Amino acid sequence: MVVKKHKTPKKHSVPGRNYWLPAGYLLLSLLLMILPLKGPVASFKAVFSYIFLPQIRAAHSATTYAEGVSQTVRELLDAHDENRHLKQEIENSRLLAEQAQYVLKENQRLSALLQVAPQRRWKGVWAKVAYREPSQWNTVTLDKGAKDGIVERSAVIGVEEGQVGLAGVVVEVTETTSKVLLVRDEDFSAAVYLERGKETGLLVGDGPRPIRIQYIPLQTHVEEGDNIYTSSTSSVFPSGIWVGKVSKVRKDDAFQTALTVQVAAGVHTSAIQEVFVISTGEKR
Amino acid sequence: MRSIIKLFLLFVLATVCHWGFALGFGFWGLSVNLMLAFALAFCTVLRPSFGYPVVFLCGLFLDFFGTKVFGNNACSFTVAAFIMYQVSPRFDFEGPLPQMLAVFLLTCLTSVLNWWLVLEFSSSILWPGFGGMLGGALIGAFCSPAVFWLVKATLHDGLMCKTQEHASF
Repeated sequence: MVVKKHKTPKKHSVPGRNYWLPAGYLLLSLLLMILPLKGPVASFKAVFSYIFLPQIRAAHSATTYAEGVSQTVRELLDAHDENRHLKQEIENSRLLAEQAQYVLKENQRLSALLQVAPQRRWKGVWAKVAYREPSQWNTVTLDKGAKDGIVERSAVIGVEEGQVGLAGVVVEVTETTSKVLLVRDEDFSAAVYLERGKETGLLVGDGPRPIRIQYIPLQTHVEEGDNIYTSSTSSVFPSGIWVGKVSKVRKDDAFQTALTVQVAAGVHTSAIQEVFVISTGEKR
Repeated sequence: MRSIIKLFLLFVLATVCHWGFALGFGFWGLSVNLMLAFALAFCTVLRPSFGYPVVFLCGLFLDFFGTKVFGNNACSFTVAAFIMYQVSPRFDFEGPLPQMLAVFLLTCLTSVLNWWLVLEFSSSILWPGFGGMLGGALIGAFCSPAVFWLVKATLHDGLMCKTQEHASF
């Protein structure tokens, strides 16, 4: 008869072992603490310190490198900040340069106006175009009004390339602004005469097409390039304001009773920026 | 053998990191004990029979550079390891928050314990100040998730690990 011996199963953990292990190391550390630092302990420490020296050097190098990195990052951040400031300054400088360019152009334009000096011939005020009618550009609003002596139906002249020319007529006036109907508008009309034969006609606007003179007698000798001036018969405009030059004479209609003359306006009203508003007629 | 080499390399890395942080933050008066973070990370991965000696050696490494008492860091690290092993069945140290909390609290505890041991055995005062201790503990706590991850990723399948405990018996 064979009796099988039953093996007792191994324990996976010994309860006391969990405490003996740390207790042993604690005891060892306490023993180390009790030992005098001089003598063998000092030698032991010195030997191991030498062993760990490369690691300390590596750590020191890493720290130095990290400090260098932080310095570099700081410099980069400073450079980024400086770059942003400089960009802003460049933008400001560009803006100032543009403003200076605008002022320079304005100065040149005003100098040209002073040389022409329509104020020597007529009484009136200089005004700037403050607003332009966006859809048709047939009217402009000036920055001067009744307070500056502008009244309705005042003649408005402009200056282009040293030449004074008819620009329009004031149709509305407020205290500080006034609206000008430009010569190209279909509602504009003015009595004018041709320089060559002194024949008078009626200047009318034609919207986007060139302005024209109507009611010129058929026999009138007109040539392209003839100068046109406002007539003394006009109740609105002083006599002698240059209007422009004849650009075309239409003779195609067999039944026409009068000539129609196309005019190249002396002042391009679409680009006009300063005007002279004649208030009380010609100076004496 | 491979696990021992990995452990040795981790230990070397821990010493470099510890000294690097100690040097770097020492300038600001902060007492960063990254070696303790590594030691606690070892406790979460290694079995007690391997964990205690490793932690003891980690502490002893710091003692080599001490001038007052020899063995105080080994003692405080062993106490920290004991606490870690006692609480590890009840806490899940997989998440970063328990890791950070453990490192923060045990860094403070070891600082106090070191101060007391040095005071008892050499009548000297080894105290970084509350600001330095808490600041250092905080930095160590913030670094701990990375340390725990590194240790676990390196030693997760070694024979010394807790995961192999039943297989080895």
